[in-house]
Order: sequence, then C-alpha cells, then structure tokens
Amino acid sequence: MSGGATASGGDTAGRPPADRTRRDRLATGVLAHVREFLREPVHVVLLLALPPLVVEGYGRAMASFPEFPYMTAVPATLGRINGAVFAAAFLAGLIGLFQVVSAVQADGRLGVCGFSRTELFVSRLGTVAAVSVGSAVVTFATLWWRVDVAAPAAAFGALVLAALTYGLIGVLIGTVLPRELEGSLVLVFVSDFDDFLASGIVDVDSPVVTLLPLHYPHALFRSAVLEGAAATDEALAGLAYLGVLFLVVLGAYVRVASGGEGA
Amino acid sequence: MSVDSPRSTVESGDSSSTALAAFASGIREYARTPVLLALFVFLPAYLIGAFTRLVPASTAPLDVPGAGTQTVEMASVYAVFMVPLVGALVGALAGVFLMQTARESDARLVVAGANPASVLLARFGLLAVVGVVVTGVSVATAATVFGPERPLVLAGATLLAALVYGLLGVLAGLVVDRLAGVYLALFGTMLDLFLVQNPLADSPEYARLLPGHAPVDLAVAAGFSADVPLSLVGEGIAFLLVVGVVTAVALYRSMRVS
Repeated sequence: MSGGATASGGDTAGRPPADRTRRDRLATGVLAHVREFLREPVHVVLLLALPPLVVEGYGRAMASFPEFPYMTAVPATLGRINGAVFAAAFLAGLIGLFQVVSAVQADGRLGVCGFSRTELFVSRLGTVAAVSVGSAVVTFATLWWRVDVAAPAAAFGALVLAALTYGLIGVLIGTVLPRELEGSLVLVFVSDFDDFLASGIVDVDSPVVTLLPLHYPHALFRSAVLEGAAATDEALAGLAYLGVLFLVVLGAYVRVASGGEGA
Repeated sequence: MSVDSPRSTVESGDSSSTALAAFASGIREYARTPVLLALFVFLPAYLIGAFTRLVPASTAPLDVPGAGTQTVEMASVYAVFMVPLVGALVGALAGVFLMQTARESDARLVVAGANPASVLLARFGLLAVVGVVVTGVSVATAATVFGPERPLVLAGATLLAALVYGLLGVLAGLVVDRLAGVYLALFGTMLDLFLVQNPLADSPEYARLLPGHAPVDLAVAAGFSADVPLSLVGEGIAFLLVVGVVTAVALYRSMRVS
C-alpha cells in the first residue's frame, strides 16, 4: 500500500489545496486514503472475507478444547468471540501501521502541495478509524450470524473500541519504528501476547493483564455478547485507555515530525 | 536486495559463487539493520518469558506423543508449546518480507545470467539463518522456566516450524502484498499452532494435515519424554520437503517470468 496523492475532493477538487477549507482538505485526504486502500482487491478480501474465516476458524478450532472452569462460555463460542475481537483489532492495527509507514513519501509530496502536517496526520487517523469501523461491522455481522448476541449495540461498541485501540497502536508503532518488517514484527508480537492473555482462553489473574490494550474491549465484548450487559466502569476504563493512547500517539507524532523538520 | 558485485560472479558462471554472494549480501542487509536483529532476539524472548511467568501455578493433564498422559505444570506446557509457535511466527514474517524485498532484484540477477537455482539457494539460506537465530533465542528463553528432556529435539522442532512457515510465508509473499501477508502469517500460525495443535485440547482429525502438527507434537515429546517417536521426525521432514519443493518451483517460475 502506498500513500498516493491522487485525491479528488468533489466541488473543491479543482482548487489548489491551500485555497480549500480545513474540513475540505481533511475530507479529501481521508477519502483518498480509503479509496486507495479499497482499490487493492486483496485489501477488499482482507476486509470482507478474512474476518468471517477467522471468526469461524477460531470457533471450530476451539470446539475441541475441554471446558475449563474459568471459561465463561463453551469453548466454541469463546473461540468465535475471541476471533471477532482479534480479527477486528489486528486488521485495524495493521492498517494503522502501513498507513503511516507507506505514507511518508506521499505525505511529503502532499506537504509540498500545501497540506499541513496536522491535517495529514488527522486524515491518516481518519482513514484508520473508517476502516476500523468497516472491519468491526463485517466481523460483528459474522459473529451475530453464528452466536446469539445478548446486547448487540454494546457488543458492536466494544468491537469498535478494540479496533480503534489497535488502529492507534499500529499508528504509534509506525510513527516510532517506520519500517514495514520491524513494525510488523512488533505489532504481531504485541497483539499475540495481548490476545493470549486478554481472551479468557488462558487462565491468568495477574494485575498486569489490566494494562494490556485488549483487556477492556475483550471484557466488554464478552459480557455484552454473553450476559447482555456492559459494566460502566470497564467501558470508561476502555475509553480512558483509548484517550491516553491517542495522546501518546499525538506526542510521538509531534516529536518525530519536529525532529524531521529540524533535520 | 542487491548483490555487491554480481557482474564478476555472474559472468564467470560459477553457481556456488553467485549463491554465496547473494547469501552474503542478504546477511549484510540484515546486519545493517540492528533494530531488526534486536527484534529477532528480543521479541521471542519477551513473548515466551513473559507469558510463561504470567500463567498461574497450576497443573493440567497432557497427552505426550509416545509417552501417554502426564500431569504437568501449566508454565512448563506453555514454555514448550510457545517455542515452535514463536519460530513459526517469525519464520512466516521473514518469508513474506524476504519474498517482497528480493523479488525484483532476484529477477534482475537471473536476467543478468545468474543461475536461478543459486539465487533460490541463497534465499533459502537466509531463511534458515533467521530460523536458527529464533530457535536459539526461543529455546534458551524456555530453558529459564523449564528444562526439557531432549533440548536438541525441541530446537529441531522449532527450526522445523520456522522453516516450514518461512517457506509458506515466501509462497504467500508471491501471491499477496505485505499487509495481507502479515495478516495471513499471524492468523495462519495462531489458528494452526495455538488453537488446532494446542496440546491441552483434543486435536481434531484434520490437525494432522496442517504444517504445525509435527513441530508441536515433536516439541511436546521432546519437552516431557526421553523417547521421541521417529515417525514424527519423518512426518516433519516430509512436510518440509513437500513445502520446499512447491516453494522452489513457484519461486523459480516467478524469477523466469519476471
């Protein structure tokens, strides 16, 4: 995926970027990035076909697990729930990472054309958010088809929270470590570790687990799907985690951008 | 990926020199990126080390291939089980990226007269080096938690997982781009090794057909029994050969076509 600069912004497309309003420029940026992502057939397959495969694959694979006392549902259902959270989160994280890493050159060119650094950054985040929500919709639809969801709105919210959280983690990794192989390695290992411990498949009671990015989204999603309720304190904690993560990402971006300008 | 002085070796027609030059070039490229080398060492150690220390101190019945059911510590199970999983994960990612970065330069080498088999050998050699590094780090980290009965067999099982998944990563890299390749690498290894082959579960019938079967069973046998079934070794090597041949043919064709 390369960050192309071939944006078209409707009525404002003919005007130079500097003459457009900030909102126009942001919308143009987000639309261009989303369109560029969807232009690759493989990415459409990733978005539409792989989440169902992962959800169902996790469910079938876990069907052969014994039902341990600490499990909150039968293993097959737990597998589908875990697959849904992980599929939505990891795809968003991957898109966040590749959006940032592959966009360095294209954003440089857009900067020359009059786009501000802040607008480019926000448009990248907007793209990650848009694809995250799209991924969550497909994943949630798959899960709902196979599992009775007790509280659909709360469950979907938790899934979006998981996707947004990992989208930001992908952006953070891409900002701090802007290389595809290295960034992918870090993202894969972070998400693996996180999912192993937060999923409820492995019995872990260490307080360290509450610091993991998927802890609150997983807990919220499980309780929304299985019990029809989402604990307010866990929802607030998950949103606070997202807010802090956003500030960390912003800080990292400002630091890297100011370092680049100084160089 | 570039070869420092391909003209002399290519023109001389010496296949082994070409393979060595391409291999050395790849190694130099890895060595030039210390962050990558640090990640190859740190990430496996972090995943295995932290995970095995967070698992509660409980026991579970484990079906050890060739040695019946034993009651073992959960931390020991995960110490043994995570080693081939990490090997497969790093191998698959290395395979995807190796393919993506080397594709064009390899095709140019072949157009310039290099023997495709030499170029293939160099790429497979690089994958093997990554596999050996990850195996060393993973087995050493696991050994801080649990002493396996047959450490060398455990290392062999991990290397097998890294190579098989590395070759599958190369195949994936031929078909899809990096983003999709990383996605497949993660979910392929997770589904196969963590869920389907999980030694704490009753593996379904189709588990035997998947690439993670022999490495995980070998690792569990090496961890908890002095007797390792030779049939598992044979199964693993046969799987590696089949995947190796398929990958070599696909890669060879892509070089000729490019």
